[in-house]
Amino acid sequence: MSEPIRRKLERAGLVAILAVVVAVAIGGSRLAVYNFTIIALQAMVVISLNLLLGLAGQVSFAQTTFMAVGGYGSAVLTLRLGLNPWLALFISAFMSLAVALVVGRPLLRLRGHYLAMATFALALGTYSFVGAATPLTNGSIGISGVPPLALGSLSLDSPLSFYVLSWIACGLTMLVYAVIANSYIGRAMRAVATGQDVAAALGVNVTAYKGLAFAIAAVIASLAGSLYVEFTSFVGPDLYDIGMVVNVFLMLFIGGRGSNVGPILGAALLTMAPQYLAGLEQFQNLVFFVFLLVLILVWPAGIFGPVRN
Amino acid sequence: MTGPDLVLAKITKRFGGLIAVSDLSLAVSPGSIHGLIGPNGAGKSTTIGLISGFIRPDAGSVAFGERDLTRLAPFAIAGLGVARTFQQAAPLAGLTVYENVLVGMHMRYRSGLGAVLLQMPGVARESRAIAGSAGELLDAFGLAPLAQTDAKLLTFGQLRFLEIARTIASTPKILLLDEPAAGLNQAERDRLAALIRGFRDRGIGVLLVDHDVPFVFDLCDRMTVMNFGSVIAAGDPDQVRRDPIVRDAYLGAEAEGEAAT
Repeated sequence: MSEPIRRKLERAGLVAILAVVVAVAIGGSRLAVYNFTIIALQAMVVISLNLLLGLAGQVSFAQTTFMAVGGYGSAVLTLRLGLNPWLALFISAFMSLAVALVVGRPLLRLRGHYLAMATFALALGTYSFVGAATPLTNGSIGISGVPPLALGSLSLDSPLSFYVLSWIACGLTMLVYAVIANSYIGRAMRAVATGQDVAAALGVNVTAYKGLAFAIAAVIASLAGSLYVEFTSFVGPDLYDIGMVVNVFLMLFIGGRGSNVGPILGAALLTMAPQYLAGLEQFQNLVFFVFLLVLILVWPAGIFGPVRN
Repeated sequence: MTGPDLVLAKITKRFGGLIAVSDLSLAVSPGSIHGLIGPNGAGKSTTIGLISGFIRPDAGSVAFGERDLTRLAPFAIAGLGVARTFQQAAPLAGLTVYENVLVGMHMRYRSGLGAVLLQMPGVARESRAIAGSAGELLDAFGLAPLAQTDAKLLTFGQLRFLEIARTIASTPKILLLDEPAAGLNQAERDRLAALIRGFRDRGIGVLLVDHDVPFVFDLCDRMTVMNFGSVIAAGDPDQVRRDPIVRDAYLGAEAEGEAAT
């Protein structure tokens, strides 16, 4: 597949996504609206990983950490401090940014496997922490009754209003990714990913660009995490367990890096597949596994993956 | 020619018990070509690494005019106008030849993250201007037909010239060439020599490190010879050529050198 054809397919993919999103909004069942809201929020996290890993080449498993800061931040700030949910959303994102800048410095000095291991440890550590820090997070029970977002006096707790909000957020995330990817900043990140020393010799501040990708990805994941908790009115440690860590990666690698279509495709596939397979009971996992295997064998670089070769 | 010299003063680097570079001093003036030769393991490539910030010296200093480069990060040194090429020509794989050159022009982009995210008009204007310059550079290097090709598909020779084009794109005042002629055929070598002379004529100070002794002798205005990390001779190329210590270290190469004159 050549580059111009791939670009056309990408455009077609985006149009198709828009069409589906609008169709579900107009005539979708309650379940479809619910599922597609989840898909939008999941896709945001996958796009954030696409920026960090797909673009800047940093293998980080720590997106769930920032989802947790966003999720728990929103819950605690609204319920315990009575803050406006929007304010809580942005404060949580700011906290994620702060964490990313502090933690990113030492972490991003590591490369490849070491970075992967360190961020994996961070993710697991986050899971342990939120499960154990009972005074703050209510431990393994979690926090329920998180108040919904409101637009003035209009409470955004109807499924459709949250659906629209989630897809607006996802759309903005896609825009951020596209704008960065097509700019000199995105190009510098790709240079860092493929030839860090060459990039440095050409004047690219490698540390700064890695940090930037890490920070932007953290903020996006945090916003997605906050929105998810606002949507379900509940936050608990199991939202950020190892399954979720792996899930985000799977969605990106199955859907494909390098464009916005892949993450949404991956998010959709891995969110819907378990539901369709639910009827198979004990064969559920096996069939799911085979399904993923086939996808990876047919499209090793992801269904909508990079094709430059 | 105008502009400050790149000055190395008593640079020393040890790797464990091995002395890679010992008490090295040399200067590169703008508008000149300074050759650095020596047998394998003499410390030539280490020297380039030391100047460009990839390796920290144990002693000594590197200065460019008033700026002390000794402890700066590689990107900062490139930002001050001292650029290097790599011995193993490395493509930025996955990027096209055109994009490789654009990365070379990275430092020309002044738009901040905010401007890029908001897609302010200045951003597009800047991109277009730089894209134009990139096109011109590709034409000058004869790489235009390969512009949309993934850099990892280039032949060795093409890659070498891409690397030089990309490094020149960063508008250096001092250019450190690490074995640029290695692996090139005679036609490519001649083209390379013409390019290097062109750089010198445009006021760039070139430090030319290479194994091909006649190639270096042919091009340089000044020369330094290293062996086992130390300078064994330095100065005018003709003087150096006749120096008995250099002849000792270079028995075979010296004969080639004479044949070239």
